Amino acid sequence: MENLPFYQPHGSEIELFERAWRNRLPLLIKGPTGCGKTRFVAHMAAKLGLPLHTVACHDDLTAADLVGRHLIVDGQTEWSDGPLTRAVREGGICYLDEVVEARKDTTVVLHPLADDRRILPIDRTGEQLAAPPSFMLVVSYNPGYQNFLKGMKPSTRQRFISLAFDFPPAEQEEAILIGETSIDAMSAKRLVSIANAFRALRDHDLEEVASTRLLVYAATLMKDGCDPTIACRAALVETLTDDPETAVALREVIDATFGR
Amino acid sequence: MEEYVGELWHKLVTRVADKQHADAAVSLNEISKTAAIYFRALGGDAGLNLSAAPPTRHGARRRWMQRLATSGERVELSWRDGETLRLPERIALFSERGLNRDLYLWLVALSAAKINDDLPWIIRNQTATLTTLERFPGLLPRYQQLVEAMLALRPAPADLPKEEAAQESAIRQALQQPGSIHVLPPSKKPFHPVPLWTHPTPPVSAPSKVSASDGAPERDESDNSNTAKSRRKHAAERTDMPDGKDGFLMLFRAESLFSWTEYIKVNRPQDEEDDLESAAQAAEDMDSMTVARDNETSAAKLRFDLDLPPAGEDDAPLDEGISLPEWDYKKQIMQPDYCRLQELVTQQAGHCELPTQLRRTAKRLRSQFQALAPTRTWLKGQQDGEEIDLDAWVRQEADLLSGTHPDNRGVYRAQVNQQRDLACLLLADLSLSTDAYASDHARVIDVIRDSLFLFSEALSATGDRFAMYGFSSLKRGNVRFNRLKSFDERYDSAARGRIAAIKPGYYTRMGAAIRHATTLLAAQPQRQRLLLLLTDGKPNDVDRYEGRYGIEDTRMALHEARQQGLRPFCVTIDSEANEYLPHLFGTGGFAVIKKPEDLPKELPLLYAQMTR
Repeated sequence: MENLPFYQPHGSEIELFERAWRNRLPLLIKGPTGCGKTRFVAHMAAKLGLPLHTVACHDDLTAADLVGRHLIVDGQTEWSDGPLTRAVREGGICYLDEVVEARKDTTVVLHPLADDRRILPIDRTGEQLAAPPSFMLVVSYNPGYQNFLKGMKPSTRQRFISLAFDFPPAEQEEAILIGETSIDAMSAKRLVSIANAFRALRDHDLEEVASTRLLVYAATLMKDGCDPTIACRAALVETLTDDPETAVALREVIDATFGR
Repeated sequence: MEEYVGELWHKLVTRVADKQHADAAVSLNEISKTAAIYFRALGGDAGLNLSAAPPTRHGARRRWMQRLATSGERVELSWRDGETLRLPERIALFSERGLNRDLYLWLVALSAAKINDDLPWIIRNQTATLTTLERFPGLLPRYQQLVEAMLALRPAPADLPKEEAAQESAIRQALQQPGSIHVLPPSKKPFHPVPLWTHPTPPVSAPSKVSASDGAPERDESDNSNTAKSRRKHAAERTDMPDGKDGFLMLFRAESLFSWTEYIKVNRPQDEEDDLESAAQAAEDMDSMTVARDNETSAAKLRFDLDLPPAGEDDAPLDEGISLPEWDYKKQIMQPDYCRLQELVTQQAGHCELPTQLRRTAKRLRSQFQALAPTRTWLKGQQDGEEIDLDAWVRQEADLLSGTHPDNRGVYRAQVNQQRDLACLLLADLSLSTDAYASDHARVIDVIRDSLFLFSEALSATGDRFAMYGFSSLKRGNVRFNRLKSFDERYDSAARGRIAAIKPGYYTRMGAAIRHATTLLAAQPQRQRLLLLLTDGKPNDVDRYEGRYGIEDTRMALHEARQQGLRPFCVTIDSEANEYLPHLFGTGGFAVIKKPEDLPKELPLLYAQMTR
């Protein structure tokens, strides 16, 4: 248990994850980028002692990339398992990160796995894998920046129980920063206060707001001895905006917090 | 000659008297964008506009030179009301530019603090200062610097008569140790203005008191004349400056007998430049100006010049109208059946072909857009793919066996799949303002017409389902929704005829039009539904549908559209759109076309980018 990745719970999500796993229910996690979705899954996999197969989904991801394909080796064809098939065989957790990025027809291969059948038919080899009880399917996506033509098919969505993540309340986020970087409490408090000021600009001046991950970056720089103002500019301001005037305003917020 | 000398003299004394530092001045224009974002980041209301505060008379003691120059009797202070955050147009108080800029940012930070506006001025500002400093401790050194610089500019209590000295000392203490003063000692002469704080009695004051004049309460038109008058009087009273609430009384000032602090009628909804200008000029010399926003006066005035066309003259209503709700942000309620919308179809329109000057562009667009039409193909010889490309593999093996060097092409097949499952409704603003000239030879309406033509050409090439409507309004009872092409109609010469016949209408009640468009679009079976709004300005109508009311109603309508699973997107040619569109559509939800004449070309391309 020493190697458990750090995770600060902010609700009953750990309990819910365990229940879902025990009852063989697939799970969908949604939330803004950098709020701890991936970390949560890694934490749970370690806690439950399961192997974790992560797939970062992208535009060109095909069903074959998930399930597996024939490769040509020494003039012979050889079947090679994809990450999904491997997770099913091993009885581990298969985690599809940013699942909406994948094309919709790709995610349809998840359907028989994600309902009570829990099977993975592999057309190309004629195999039909039955998932062992310890197998769990977890997908995540960020509802914030959905491409207009993307989004999950309702038939896919309806196969999951869903957990909504958001940035944690101030005290918990401070605890996360302290837990991740062992930064002092005062600096953590100020970082979180900056982040919350930036979050007020969501959908208005900023397309994306400061994530917990970026705060951890800033805290890491500060812990390393970097000047707080410089650390925040590098980790927060310049990461969040390219617009010079917006950047000036964001820097003023940082100065207002850490002093100049 | 006399005049010339007088002018010189005036300039001279003004320069000596005004203790401003022109070289170090910071203007609101320079920092308005920064200030606006700063305000929102610090927790300010995102719906507020930023604007320059008109100078107001402070009535405090002036230096004799200032009196000689009749300057220094007005001061620009900041305040915030339901719609606007007002900041001084220019700050040149300190000799250091950095300090002047800091003062701006300090005022913004102070206004962002959520403080009960009903508190007495002195307590309100101290509380706001404390709250701000607590939340943003980094501001403390700058605040102290500002206070120090500020105190150096204020009259020393020792030089003032007793009462004023007590008042001045209290203000000084409140600045240095916010929270320590609870009551401002009374004095006959008003205190020296405090630029570090918000306005003691903002001309358009706290929401609690202003509701009658600013809130434009809903009233039936029958009970108008009396109430309008009394409200107007009330509004005029409100503009009289010190109301004695803050512990000082200034009852009488000789000048004010002859001064102009009265109601002046500036009828904003009207587009009469001359009137506005002359009124503005007259208003410049006043302390404050009240703009009545009561429905009745303006509407009555407008009934003159904008009468509806006789029924059945040009547009045939398709039914007796649809009732739509409207959002009142002040009351935070949805007013059911508040607007009546009529779907109309132009009768005069004939059939028509695409105008010749557009044909070449249209042809190019069609071929570009055909590439977007759905296809599903297998690509052979890929390095990576779902299936093995047996042909390629056999060829490669054969090459190897025969001793020729195999070309390293891939041996997999990959499927390229482009499925478009998409419906788009384009809603064009056909308000009166589209009658204006967009460039030397085209009116806005002509640009919109060309855009609609090319847009339809492009979309019919993709096979995406689309509909087009235009809208304008004349008060809530008459929202006109012109059908140009419905989803089920073909894009044919009749539809083109209707597009050719569009003409400027009345006003822009955006919320109602969006709500109806949402209903139409939400009924489409496609999974992706795009609500494209083409406009040239803010929502407005002749009744109270303007300013924040209109913006908030539109915002609510867009919110409803999103909840229905539609995606709203706005294309505008309004160069000031960056001020309000982010609030309505979000950062990625709109595009501003800088040169209106580019709109016809840009619009289809935007659509292609959005849906690729």
